[in-house]
Amino acid sequence: MRKRPDFIVGLTVLLTAVALVSALVWVRQTDVSNRRQRVVARFRDVGNARVGNAAMIRGVRSGRIDRIELADDGAVLVRLSLERGTTLPRDPVVLLNESSLFGEWQATITERAALPHDEAVQRQLDAVSGDGMIPGATLPDIAKLTAVAGQIAGDVAAVAGRVGVAFDDAAAKELRASIQNFAVLSSTLARTVRDHENDLDTLSSKLQNAVRSLDRTAQTTLEIANRVDSSMTGGELQQLITDLGAAAADLRKTTSTLNGMANNLAATQARLDNFLANGDSVFKKINTGRGTIGMLVNDSSLYVGSDSLVTALRALVIDVRANPKKFFNLSVF
Amino acid sequence: MRGAAVVEGVGRRTRLAIERVGDIAGYVGDVTRAARDVRTWAPEATLQARRLGVDSMPIGVFIALFTGVVLALLASYSFTGAVPLYFVGTLVAKTVTLELAPVLTGLALAGRVGANIAAELGTMRVTEQIDALETLAYDPYAFLVFPRVLAGLVMFPIVVAAAMLTGVAAGWVASIGLLDVSSSEFIKGVRLFFDSFDVRYGLVKAGSFGVAVTLIGARQGLQARGGAQGVGAAATSAVVFSAVAILVLDAIWAVVWLLGHTP
Repeated sequence: MRKRPDFIVGLTVLLTAVALVSALVWVRQTDVSNRRQRVVARFRDVGNARVGNAAMIRGVRSGRIDRIELADDGAVLVRLSLERGTTLPRDPVVLLNESSLFGEWQATITERAALPHDEAVQRQLDAVSGDGMIPGATLPDIAKLTAVAGQIAGDVAAVAGRVGVAFDDAAAKELRASIQNFAVLSSTLARTVRDHENDLDTLSSKLQNAVRSLDRTAQTTLEIANRVDSSMTGGELQQLITDLGAAAADLRKTTSTLNGMANNLAATQARLDNFLANGDSVFKKINTGRGTIGMLVNDSSLYVGSDSLVTALRALVIDVRANPKKFFNLSVF
Repeated sequence: MRGAAVVEGVGRRTRLAIERVGDIAGYVGDVTRAARDVRTWAPEATLQARRLGVDSMPIGVFIALFTGVVLALLASYSFTGAVPLYFVGTLVAKTVTLELAPVLTGLALAGRVGANIAAELGTMRVTEQIDALETLAYDPYAFLVFPRVLAGLVMFPIVVAAAMLTGVAAGWVASIGLLDVSSSEFIKGVRLFFDSFDVRYGLVKAGSFGVAVTLIGARQGLQARGGAQGVGAAATSAVVFSAVAILVLDAIWAVVWLLGHTP
């Protein structure tokens, strides 16, 4: 009679306890079989990070914060449990930051080189580096940023209030006059710039051309200098001077020969002049109809007579061919 | 003359209040002393544990089931457009483990267990069975009260633990089935701010509720006078006092344990 209640009560207690413990283990993601790898990071402070917050690597949830404790030197040690086989980035650091606007925090494991340029973060990391642990830094939470923003807004409001007090009607008029003056000045300046815009363009263009020319000249000079250098170093210049001496001697010899030829050419020219003068005299006589050739050239009657003679001769030849016996009487006996 | 009567009335009431406190303290002292009489209460303990705890399991689970569903729907209704819906999981888990499972289960058991004990012991009182036990040299506190108090201390947390699991599971299922919350989102919300302290707090509170309900029910039963009417009055007052005690204890635990606790 007593055993049945004992069994039922015992069974109920055991089942409920097992279910509750299992649920706790599952919800807390407790590493029962010790299959996770653990890393420890040092922080100057951890903000609102808590046990159970996610550990992220490149945006992927890779573990959780297992424990947060104070170290002897005043630093805060954060123990992270990561999935087995998780590869940490090179030169890792841990950043604690809010993951949403609703108070959730996370530990982001990243490379030091990938950190944002933030002096505060660098200072925190420098302060906790060493001891073989991963250095960590905490980014300000939204509440702090909001508080700072609120303070800035308050300061701006105070400044605005003071400006409001100092900025009376007279100041407004002076400011308006100043603005008008400034407008006129700006207009004048713009006109001046427009007027000289073309000149400036031309000047600029010429300047650019000059600079380009100078550049080319400098380039050429540089090339020449290089060649001179190479010539000096290779003994080519000495050879060039020797060749130049020989060439000068040859040139002197050639000049002498040319002088002789020039003298001969002068005599030839004199004879040619004489020949041409005689020729001119002959042609002049011919043109004036003096002498036999002159008369032949200038009198057409000779041509006409000759032509008629040729005609008569051609008729004679034809006649001879046709009637040879008329003209030739060959008798042997 | 009239002034003296008023003063006399105040003094009488003060004395009665102190006497009541003294009676309660004496009652608690008698029950505590009865713990030494193991041979008397031990055979009754598991029987009472089954009657008070195991048999109360269905009502605790039933209440938690619907509480979890309603909590999820209420959270979704409140959060829509303002807070991410995965906080439904956070709210359900936190509320069920910290408050609703212990208190609602405690109130339900106050009605069931408190009234049961008061009626049972009241009937024994009015039928002089308790007098007979005393005549037989049985300590009624060791034989009747302590096993019930012990059962309440042990089994209330068990019932509340089952209610916690059921409530969160019901909220989970309701979130997936009725709300636009995925399973992973709900679990993320549950894990987000989960602290095992929440469960400890709820279970310890449930244990204190169990002790209070059984002590009050037994005392009201032992004090029953008259016939069936007296027994009915004892059962009614047991339920009322138990409910009040649960709410007062709930507040005391919150002030003592939650105030200043940093997760």
